[in-house]
Amino acid sequence: MVTAGPAEGTIEVHGLTKTFGPVTAVRGLDFTVEPGRITGFLGPNGAGKTTTLRMLLGLVAPTSGTATIGGRNYREIADPTRSVGAVLEATSFHPSRRARNHLKMVAMAAGIDGSRIDVVLDMVGLTADAKRKVGGYSLGMRQRLELATALLGDPAVLILDEPSNGLDPQGIAWLREFLRHLAGEGRTVLVSSHLLAEMSQTVDDVVIVSQGQLRAQGPLSSLVGQAQSSMRVRSPETDRLVAVVRAAGFSPRQVAQDVVIVDAVGPEQLGPVLATNQVVVYELAQESQNLESIFLELTTSLGGMPSVPTSPADSWPPNPPATGTGQAEPAWPPPPSSGAAWPPPPASPGGPA
Amino acid sequence: MMRVIRAELFKLRTTPGPWVVLIVTLVLTALGIITAFVITIGGKGEFTAPVFTPQLRDLVGAGYGAGTVLAPIVGILCITTEYRQKVLTTTLLVTPRREVVLFGKGVASAVWGLFLAVAGLVLVAAMGIPLLVTQGGSVTALLHQVGPVVPGLLGAYVLFAIFGLGIGTLLRNQVAAVILTIVFVAILEPIIVALVHHLAHVDLNWLPSRSAAALAGGLTHSAGGGGNNTGAGPLLSWWLGGLALLGWGVGTAVIGYFTTFRRDVT
Repeated sequence: MVTAGPAEGTIEVHGLTKTFGPVTAVRGLDFTVEPGRITGFLGPNGAGKTTTLRMLLGLVAPTSGTATIGGRNYREIADPTRSVGAVLEATSFHPSRRARNHLKMVAMAAGIDGSRIDVVLDMVGLTADAKRKVGGYSLGMRQRLELATALLGDPAVLILDEPSNGLDPQGIAWLREFLRHLAGEGRTVLVSSHLLAEMSQTVDDVVIVSQGQLRAQGPLSSLVGQAQSSMRVRSPETDRLVAVVRAAGFSPRQVAQDVVIVDAVGPEQLGPVLATNQVVVYELAQESQNLESIFLELTTSLGGMPSVPTSPADSWPPNPPATGTGQAEPAWPPPPSSGAAWPPPPASPGGPA
Repeated sequence: MMRVIRAELFKLRTTPGPWVVLIVTLVLTALGIITAFVITIGGKGEFTAPVFTPQLRDLVGAGYGAGTVLAPIVGILCITTEYRQKVLTTTLLVTPRREVVLFGKGVASAVWGLFLAVAGLVLVAAMGIPLLVTQGGSVTALLHQVGPVVPGLLGAYVLFAIFGLGIGTLLRNQVAAVILTIVFVAILEPIIVALVHHLAHVDLNWLPSRSAAALAGGLTHSAGGGGNNTGAGPLLSWWLGGLALLGWGVGTAVIGYFTTFRRDVT
């Protein structure tokens, strides 16, 4: 179990910036990750997620700003693997080394008792394959071994970079359950992904980045709340339908001879109205702007950039900052207010506790 | 720090590379042992027991030549495997202070270098002594050369292993580091030393192999190639040679630390 206090597990990122030569991978990032919750770190490929996580873990030096865990830089934490576990990529094993020896090597360097090796192997279901060389492992098994490595020190904080890469649907379901369990024990879980859909069932909070900048932060529920739902009704008596719905205080608009769309309403509100007034309905469908489309909107419509919702990955590297005559360039960087409608204030306590 | 050193040694012994180096070292040492029994008498080479001090020293130090070429490879593997197999991320997550990691690797390389040297000496005892007895040589005379030869031999292996670590830290590319080191130590350096000696009458005694040869003072010429004292003037004193070789290792490692090892790991 986690022994560290809640403050121990809080991840704080302030004004974090990283430039690689002319490319700014991360630009003034600010966010906080709380213990006991799963936080999704979301953005398209190349948004700066991996760079941010690597700065958090002391592998990449920030150009400016800070990234701390429990108030300390990773490099300052004594025996960091005992407080922070990280899953970064599925290739960081020597292929000739047996899985058990990989764990033993880490335990040795970290001063972790060897008995933990069997515990974590069991947790990720690799006990039977522990004596095999990692070179013969499938991608999914490597991910499990990464996870086992991260859990060796029984850390209060877990940081995972695209952990579902290479996992099959069962593996993803397993991972989801596993992360839920770990967060339930009071641990901080920060997990990056470029797929919101995959994460929407897993995460409590989200931090959304695009082109190295924060686009949104807060409980997933408040992001869902942003999603405008509307109802599409097909009926032979649209005139009466419009009148009834308007009388109930909603705003209908007729879009076809037999189709009416009612904005800002869910089936729970509209259904009873129609039933009470005995309106004949052929079809009643919810047309909600789904999370994925919100995600795409947040991550692709950056000032001056053409929106390319079909392939957000292509939008990186970001629009290079104007090197010459900045005047003529489209607005870059976008004004800080470009994402102002969201996030909610950082102190927002919402979401599942 | 002890944990890091232990883990680095564990890493070395759980990968095939260092064991291949051990096997090749033993093969070359065996060749060195046999060569030590080929004595030139009256312009003709004969297979017989070594009798004179330099000949006996060549037998005790039969693994010297192998060490000059192979001990650096251990150091190179110790660091470049981290890049090649991307283990570095895991290593630095456990031990984020990179100077500690590099120091641990230095000690682990030195220990494995010592292990190679001792393994070679065991082979000399197991193979050379019986051969000496069957050829009618004196074991007592051989044992008298242990004192003058063995400390320098062990020192050369250890310091060459650290030198390899330095080169590996500097270059990061495993293949490039191995090839460059072997070519330099075994081929280029002797040529450069001989050329400069003959053309400019200057002895480049501070180069790695020449320093090692000074450290291993008793070995006037080597059995396995490299580090020989032919074609140039006198060597440094043994301790200056040791210091110079240590300087090559520490120097390259420190430069490598500042130029490559502290870089971002992406």
